[in-house]
Amino acid sequence: MQLLETKLAQDIIFQGLAMGASFVEVFVERTETEGMVLRNSRAEDAQSGVIFGIGIRLICDEQSLYGYTNSTEREELLRITKLLGTRIGKLGLSSKPVNFEKVSYPKIPTIADQEVDAKYKLNFFKNIDQQFRTDPKVSQVILSFTKKKQMIEVYNSLGMYATEERPYIRLMHRMVLKDGSFQSEAHHGPGSIGGWSFIESLDIREIGEALLKQAKTTLYAPPCPAGKMPVVIDNGFGGVIFHEACGHLLETTSVEKKASVFWDKMGEKIAHSALTAIDDGTLAGEWGSLSIDDEGMPTEKTTLIQDGILKTFLCDRMGEIKTGHRRTGSGRRQSYKFAPASRMRNTFIEKGPHSLNEIIGSIPHGLYAKKMGGGSVDPSTGEFNFSVQEAYLIKDGKITTPVKSATLIGTGPEVMSKISMVGNNFSLMAGMCGSVSGSIPTTVGQPCIKVDEILVGGEA
Amino acid sequence: MKTLMENVMNQIKDLNAEGDLIFSDSKVLKMSAQGGAISEYKVSSAQILGVRVVKNDSVGISFTEALDRDSVRIAVKQALQNAEANAPNVHEKIIKSGGELLDQGLYPEEETDIKVKTEKALWLESAVKALDSRVTVVPHNSYSENIYQSLYLNSSGRKTEFSTKTYSIVSSALLEDRGRKANYHDYHLAHRFQDLNWKKVVETSLYHAKNILSSKTLPTGKYQVIFSQDCLQELMDCFSDFFSAKAVLDKVNPWENKLHEQVISADLSIEDHPLYVEAFRTKMFDSEGVASKALSIVLDGKLNSFIHNSLTASQLNTVTTGHASRGPASSLDVATSTILIKGKNQKPLPPKYLEVIQMDGLYSGANSITGAFSVGIKGYLWEHGEKIATVGGVTLSGNLLKMLNDVEVVGEILEPSNDLTFFSVPLVFHDISIAGE
Repeated sequence: MQLLETKLAQDIIFQGLAMGASFVEVFVERTETEGMVLRNSRAEDAQSGVIFGIGIRLICDEQSLYGYTNSTEREELLRITKLLGTRIGKLGLSSKPVNFEKVSYPKIPTIADQEVDAKYKLNFFKNIDQQFRTDPKVSQVILSFTKKKQMIEVYNSLGMYATEERPYIRLMHRMVLKDGSFQSEAHHGPGSIGGWSFIESLDIREIGEALLKQAKTTLYAPPCPAGKMPVVIDNGFGGVIFHEACGHLLETTSVEKKASVFWDKMGEKIAHSALTAIDDGTLAGEWGSLSIDDEGMPTEKTTLIQDGILKTFLCDRMGEIKTGHRRTGSGRRQSYKFAPASRMRNTFIEKGPHSLNEIIGSIPHGLYAKKMGGGSVDPSTGEFNFSVQEAYLIKDGKITTPVKSATLIGTGPEVMSKISMVGNNFSLMAGMCGSVSGSIPTTVGQPCIKVDEILVGGEA
Repeated sequence: MKTLMENVMNQIKDLNAEGDLIFSDSKVLKMSAQGGAISEYKVSSAQILGVRVVKNDSVGISFTEALDRDSVRIAVKQALQNAEANAPNVHEKIIKSGGELLDQGLYPEEETDIKVKTEKALWLESAVKALDSRVTVVPHNSYSENIYQSLYLNSSGRKTEFSTKTYSIVSSALLEDRGRKANYHDYHLAHRFQDLNWKKVVETSLYHAKNILSSKTLPTGKYQVIFSQDCLQELMDCFSDFFSAKAVLDKVNPWENKLHEQVISADLSIEDHPLYVEAFRTKMFDSEGVASKALSIVLDGKLNSFIHNSLTASQLNTVTTGHASRGPASSLDVATSTILIKGKNQKPLPPKYLEVIQMDGLYSGANSITGAFSVGIKGYLWEHGEKIATVGGVTLSGNLLKMLNDVEVVGEILEPSNDLTFFSVPLVFHDISIAGE
């Protein structure tokens, strides 16, 4: 199904060029969403919806002009184009409509869809709910299921036309434990590009056991002691440390404004030589994968840091214009309501030679962050923070007492130089990343790593 | 749009269902500057229709941003299908009251020329740079205006119409000196262009960024802490489930069984006041079309009431407090409008305390059930009425439930947050853990 008539896209682009733009892009999106929440062992909040709109971008020199609307009316789309065009203040040279050539690209494999009806899903979730409630301390289980199908079309004044259909599926698990006045909770949110088969492939028993262990661990745990200490960050969602402390700082969205501490460090050593980091949009079935980015460029595997040396920035079209770095298929946006920006896809630290035991064994006193929570960063200063959901003290090379309420803070350049050991237990985990072009699916990942020193926030 | 909504409502009634519709329309203009030129310019117009139906005691919702006849018809059909998938809940009903309520934010002003707006947007960047040579870039700066309208119609004939216009400006200052960097941003909101305080935004962002540039860590230990009103508001927002009857039903509210019990210091009272005249905007009705009124949530430390919508009220055997919250694409929830924290038994300021002006990572480091949180902070150390140091590179850990019990009131005037939706007397929290050196 074509979302916008080709002729209308041609006319918008013609109009934009005629008003002096050097580049015009039309982004059309239709996203069908559905969701359901199982709470108190009952189905609630079953809902569905349609997101639909058209984004128009005009670029002139280093100026980006963006407008959007839900309307497919010719008059409204041309009105917005003219409104943007008047900002340029000069006449263009366009004399004939652009003819589009459809981009062909390798399709990233997704996990097969499987049609199941609402009743089947409900029974499936009820079964999970039942499995999760075996321990009497479990006071609540909340399962949030979301599925969406995003269809996009991108046209631009260089004659490019690209289209992609992206299926997303995710199941968030939340378990709450209560024992008298003690309460705790644990979360897990696997997601994929694909369909229901992904949900069926989840090892529910393993997830339930891990959540119960995590929630029980923190239920009675004392607060984490505060201070600077070595920290071992385990695999999977532990990758949020690289995402926050370094990944955002390598996006040309920050680099182009010189608002990243790494903006002038290309080719230089910015991390410990033990570290190689990748951003790969092409991984089969992964939550952050996409065949083309939201500018219509096929995605790729990008080596960001090789043995500690900065190799590539994540670059979109504006980043290329403003910095001269090559595009990497990283122009992403939440929806038509946002102009694209350089963003991460599946970002991870590559696996190294050490076992977890070896790394833990190297620390006389420190913290083992088994499961990380979320975090944030100010790219301009490199300052980051993130929370630890499940943590234990390390004493004399062994994992000992569980602790709760730990936060890690520091700066990207500092922590990158202190990752001295990289493990071999690599894994990935789905998450959502919020930034200038909205909230998008991204994957973080790593094997366990050792950071020689980091400030741990906790009980003084 | 009103006609379309009437037609959709007739479709719902024809299907022997009840329901309500929310339509919202937003028009935005936004621009930001970089290197002395407007680098980003954004105009938009977005509409969305939300459908909620109740049939056979089951509720289903759907939404659509495509407003053609077919898309809207499909949205109604999907809402009914979703209702079939949900478990029946006799407590979620459409409010049985008709009539029309209007809340139109009328802020008369002379139209400002786009050239003037552009010049002012450029000034947000240039003014920061002109004031200090150490400003390398102004990473976040923007001028934006948003005209928003929301319409509500339910199957009992209740209609509401809300509209408002908001201007906002943001500026930041990124300073660099001898390898150290500091960044701080400030913002201001107004209903009329001429009320925007451009100078305040530029000067505040620069003032704090300059100080943060020379910030120092603190020895790890326990400190007396005062939060800026913006930080205190952020904290209270993060743990707003404490007030929520919905969170009680979801079994994630630590005050679930504490109604009429002492939950915080007896020196404090907390109100939600949707009609508070000092607030940025008042709210005449909630998302179910129920008229708003002030509510005492905590009185002299005792939990007086949760905030309710019609569903939570019915389920917990009480009446709605007019705090229903629902957007076109979301299910029925509850929300506060303007929180007031009032205090008594005022004490003098302690001789030494830490003033927190910025918190980083609150939401990722907070446990909404236990009240525990841990954040990176920046602020000022005060001693005998003088600011003796700027503090950075430290974390603050606490538990809001405990903190609200170990607190002193140190002023009697309700001070506002920057966005004028939160007002509190100044409070000092005792023995807060700070991790630094």
